[in-house]
Amino acid sequence: MKKLLLNGLLIGAMLGSAALTGCSNDDPMPDNPGNADRWVTVSGALMGSTPGDGNGGTMVYAVSKDDARNPEVSIDVFENGYGVRSNRTARLQASEDGSTLFNIAYTGDNGGEFTKYAVNGGRNFNPIDGGVNISQYAGTSPRWVKLFDGDRTGIAVNVTLPVPNNAPPAGGTFAYYRGVATVLALDFQETLISGYRQYEIPLTAEEELQGHTIFRLDAPVLNKLGNKLIIGTWMRKYDVASNTVANNFERLGTKSVVVDYPSLENPTIITSSVGHGDCSGYRSFNSFVASDGNIYQATQRDPKGSHILRINQNNEYDNSYIFSLDAALGVKGVYVDAWRYVNDNIAYVLYTHGGTDQGYVAQVDLSARTATKVEGIPYDADLDFSQYQGFMVDGDEVYIAVTPTGKNGNIYILNSKTNEVIKGATLINKPGNHYIGVF
Amino acid sequence: MSRYFLLLLFMICFSASVKAQGQKCSISGVAYNSQGETLPGIMVLLQDSSLGAVTDMNGFFSINGLSAGTHSIYLSGLGYQRKDVPVKVAPQDKMEIIVILEESEEELGEVVVEGKTFEKEIEESGFAVNVIETKKASLQSLQTNDLLNRTAGIRVRQNGGLGSAVNYNLNGMSGNSVRIFIDGIPISTYGASFSLNSIPPALIERIEVYKGVIPAHLSDDALGGAINVILKQDMSNNLTASVSYGSFNTLQANFSSMYRNEKNGFTVRASGFHNYSDNNYEVWGKFVRNILPNGRYEYVRTRRFNDAYRSTGGQIQLGFTNVKWADQFLIGFNGSNDYNEIQHGNYMTIPYKGRFTTSQSNVLNLNYNKKDFMVKGLEVTFTGMHSDRHEVVNDTVRWNYNWFGEKSIGLNGTPILRSGGAQQGAPTINHIDRKVTTFRSGLNYDINDNHRVVFNHMYYTIDRREQDLMKTELERSFIGTRDLTKNISAVAYEMNAFNSRLKTNLFTKFYQQQIERMNPILLRQNGEQIRGEDTAKSKRNTTGYGLATSLNVLPKLMLIVSAEKAVRMPSENEIFGSPGDNIIENISLRPEISNNLNVGFRGGFLYNSDHKFDFYVSGFLRDTKDKIVQRINPRMNDAIQTDPFENLGLVKSKGFEAELKYEMGRNLNVFLNFSRFNTVFNQQYDPNGKEYTYYNQQLPNEPFFTVNNMVQYTLNDFIQTQSTVILNYNFGFVDRFYTSWMEIDEFRTPRQFIQDIGISYMFPNKKFVISADARNIFDRQAYDNFAVQKPGRAFYLKLNYTINNF
Repeated sequence: MKKLLLNGLLIGAMLGSAALTGCSNDDPMPDNPGNADRWVTVSGALMGSTPGDGNGGTMVYAVSKDDARNPEVSIDVFENGYGVRSNRTARLQASEDGSTLFNIAYTGDNGGEFTKYAVNGGRNFNPIDGGVNISQYAGTSPRWVKLFDGDRTGIAVNVTLPVPNNAPPAGGTFAYYRGVATVLALDFQETLISGYRQYEIPLTAEEELQGHTIFRLDAPVLNKLGNKLIIGTWMRKYDVASNTVANNFERLGTKSVVVDYPSLENPTIITSSVGHGDCSGYRSFNSFVASDGNIYQATQRDPKGSHILRINQNNEYDNSYIFSLDAALGVKGVYVDAWRYVNDNIAYVLYTHGGTDQGYVAQVDLSARTATKVEGIPYDADLDFSQYQGFMVDGDEVYIAVTPTGKNGNIYILNSKTNEVIKGATLINKPGNHYIGVF
Repeated sequence: MSRYFLLLLFMICFSASVKAQGQKCSISGVAYNSQGETLPGIMVLLQDSSLGAVTDMNGFFSINGLSAGTHSIYLSGLGYQRKDVPVKVAPQDKMEIIVILEESEEELGEVVVEGKTFEKEIEESGFAVNVIETKKASLQSLQTNDLLNRTAGIRVRQNGGLGSAVNYNLNGMSGNSVRIFIDGIPISTYGASFSLNSIPPALIERIEVYKGVIPAHLSDDALGGAINVILKQDMSNNLTASVSYGSFNTLQANFSSMYRNEKNGFTVRASGFHNYSDNNYEVWGKFVRNILPNGRYEYVRTRRFNDAYRSTGGQIQLGFTNVKWADQFLIGFNGSNDYNEIQHGNYMTIPYKGRFTTSQSNVLNLNYNKKDFMVKGLEVTFTGMHSDRHEVVNDTVRWNYNWFGEKSIGLNGTPILRSGGAQQGAPTINHIDRKVTTFRSGLNYDINDNHRVVFNHMYYTIDRREQDLMKTELERSFIGTRDLTKNISAVAYEMNAFNSRLKTNLFTKFYQQQIERMNPILLRQNGEQIRGEDTAKSKRNTTGYGLATSLNVLPKLMLIVSAEKAVRMPSENEIFGSPGDNIIENISLRPEISNNLNVGFRGGFLYNSDHKFDFYVSGFLRDTKDKIVQRINPRMNDAIQTDPFENLGLVKSKGFEAELKYEMGRNLNVFLNFSRFNTVFNQQYDPNGKEYTYYNQQLPNEPFFTVNNMVQYTLNDFIQTQSTVILNYNFGFVDRFYTSWMEIDEFRTPRQFIQDIGISYMFPNKKFVISADARNIFDRQAYDNFAVQKPGRAFYLKLNYTINNF
């Protein structure tokens, strides 16, 4: 009921903005044209001390959808944009209609501060509802994403540094390394923290004795039923004989943490036998519920290259589903920097391979388990998607910002149905900087 | 602590027994000009001995430790004719004399040279140097850091109140590139408990601040500058003591004393200090808020609650001075300890409770120096020190606290755990022990009056061990060690030409550094894993050189130029990394090099004989190459997020500073200085050959424009005859600056204008001085660092006591 009401509101907002802006759309109509009169916000990361580090802060700028699709239009976020309050790269998310940006400041005096911005075009972003700070629960550099629940909830997660059970003052014999995990829900409508839980999440006793532990949690996703959250993990192993961090180790099967929703209680662990990498993603989504009701999850640091794993509607890994991106793309050592599901089991993956940082884009078909590198995008050696955050999905289309570090680029609009690649607005860059999202 | 008291007791008994045997003769007196005004700064010397004194601001002097009999003393001073006075003192006599000096017509000659204070001599040596005399300031409730902060070109950035962490910025260079010395010895020999935070101005003779170019006798790899603190060096018997109490339960006490037996030259110097403050000053504004269970902010105005600071220390030196075989031969012990609560990290948005550090240091030292050693004109100096330092960082409290010092309660009604496990990261009780040995030796040879050769060598070795009691024994046994040894040799040639109108100092420094690292590793032996050690050594040699020169272009106008190719050797962590701080090693790291240049003028003039102006203007350039910075990997693909330090950055700093002193008669002193600089990003092209936007842009988080002003007014014979009242007014201005590359208002500090006032009253007997000070009188929000508020309005009362005859 609430969801219906919300959708109504969204449509109203869309109509309202259409009336206000009076944009016309001359592009040929795709199957699902999406929302014609929405704002398209691009974000760019300033360099701190070395090119591409993104540590100088984040700036945003919004244009009409028409302008975003027009290669004649130039957007210079670094010259004309609005500075989002975050000492280092902001962790941005957007409402589905693009009318609101959500940010959690990363580190600094306001680290952990959640802010909503109303998108009003150009550099006009107005903070609304004051601030809410989650740092007491989740630290000043929390990892978070929004759920696909009609822009109602954001989930932030954190794990404290793992410590051995026999660390003083406890003492005794070694059994495990564990940190304390926090799972926190943020209510976007009320702008407040609606719940949190803190617990230690044990692995099997044997795994723990070997020194394996969860080092980070990231990229939670809500299952189709809406009763479980599946949270990605980043694993670490300690060398038990020296209590130091192990550099090279035989990785366990990919693990996710499953907790009840909305209570956030009863954490359990599920383990894949297909993937052996982490499934934490980086600064963006890493798991999606597809049209078939299953969850699809990408792996990182996977010894045999990134895989896409399937978690079925019983919230268990489906080990009969094997989708190796190395095999599908015919290259070695694929690493998924970020990816985004569009619709009808089609998704787009930003990846590197062969141990370089150079980024590529591929379309993947989750049902057919195929992947195709998208042609028509200039793949520059300095194109690095490692900090990439924002994909704008609009109908059948996904918008991505493609700028090599320190060089100009464009918005590219990829159509999941027609496979068309449209070159959109020109993104004016500055040395050392790069664009990290379209929202 | 008990050891320190024993020493004190020993010192007191010892000096008392020596005293009883001596013949307590002394001469004291007051110097006047022909108008009957008292004359400060007049040298009073004994004809055939090195005993002497300088008149204080009331013209008063005293010479102690005289043997009975006839002596000839003479008085001389700038602008006055030398006057010889024969005196006859009987055993146990305390003689008092009055001397009237005639104004001198001649401008040049011996008198002028003798009248030059040490301060002036250093300032005219050609270096870009400020000399801070502490004598007057030590009567007020001021800290050493306050004095530094009021000096042109120096910005002291402190993370709170008394005792909190300090960073010094000299002409835009800061952090590791500014080295601090105590009597020419690196301050790291002493540790936190004996630092500029704890040493009161009353124990300091003067502070020399060298900017960019550092003389050969201060041998260290100081890239951006050096602050050299000279501890008290009285040569006459005296005892001074003071105690100050004020806002935030701040108590500061110190004493210093000197005794010299005139007969055999036996000398005892002892001093001690004690500082305590709750630092519970009020904080408010946008950074001071409690976070409610639902995440919303509640802005509060409240007092700091975990910020107490205590430091105690003392020094005793025994030996002989001005004897045949040594001008100074002293063996000493310096002991100090401190306790420091830490209220917050880099920003005050998250208050801590229960995080604190303690430190202790015990330093043994030996000093020897002799002029005309074996050969006339050869001066030998030697300082040897060995110190044992111990430091503990304690942080084990697991909960979040709000600004009322209460546990933060979560939505579930239970206290919220800190996200790192303790207040500032992982729980720790880290014991760090350092053994530091430092030797400094110098040879100066005066070829003749105009040519001198200086050779100086410093050897410094530090051996560091760490034990974190919150880590398992196994973890502790796998913590590596780093031993660092530095050898720095410097040779200088000093020349005076054209009747001392041109002074030149050419120097070269040779730096050698050796670091040994041991990382424990796992070895496999007979199928079993055992602990092994992986050791490596790194050696670095570098040469730097420079010059300092001054030229009197006009009789009262001096051109001062100095330049140096300055060096900073990479530190042990930068080379060998630190697994705990996520730094991996980079053996090939090169030293940081900076080309530093200062050009300035110093001058003065007299107007209507009553208005005296002195000024100093200087421009500077610091061109740093191979700046050592930690590479930031945007990808962070490794489960262990570690990055090495690299020679990456280029930074340039340029700016200017000016000082103006104005004296009207003997009553009014006005002192004004300002400093403005640009520290810019100096890397021009990115890998694609495009010019960086930041190129030539001001680096964020640099207070680039500051102004300080001090006005002092002296009233004589106020209330009582022979008494003196001194009124002080001081303001400090810091212009606003951005703290991030993104120039948005949220990342900009406010413009600051902080004012202090004070009054001192000197009783006619000259023994008591009572001072009252009000700091930050308008209770403004003061910030040295972004989001860290400094104390607001505060009041202090101080009592000083001095005896010059015993």
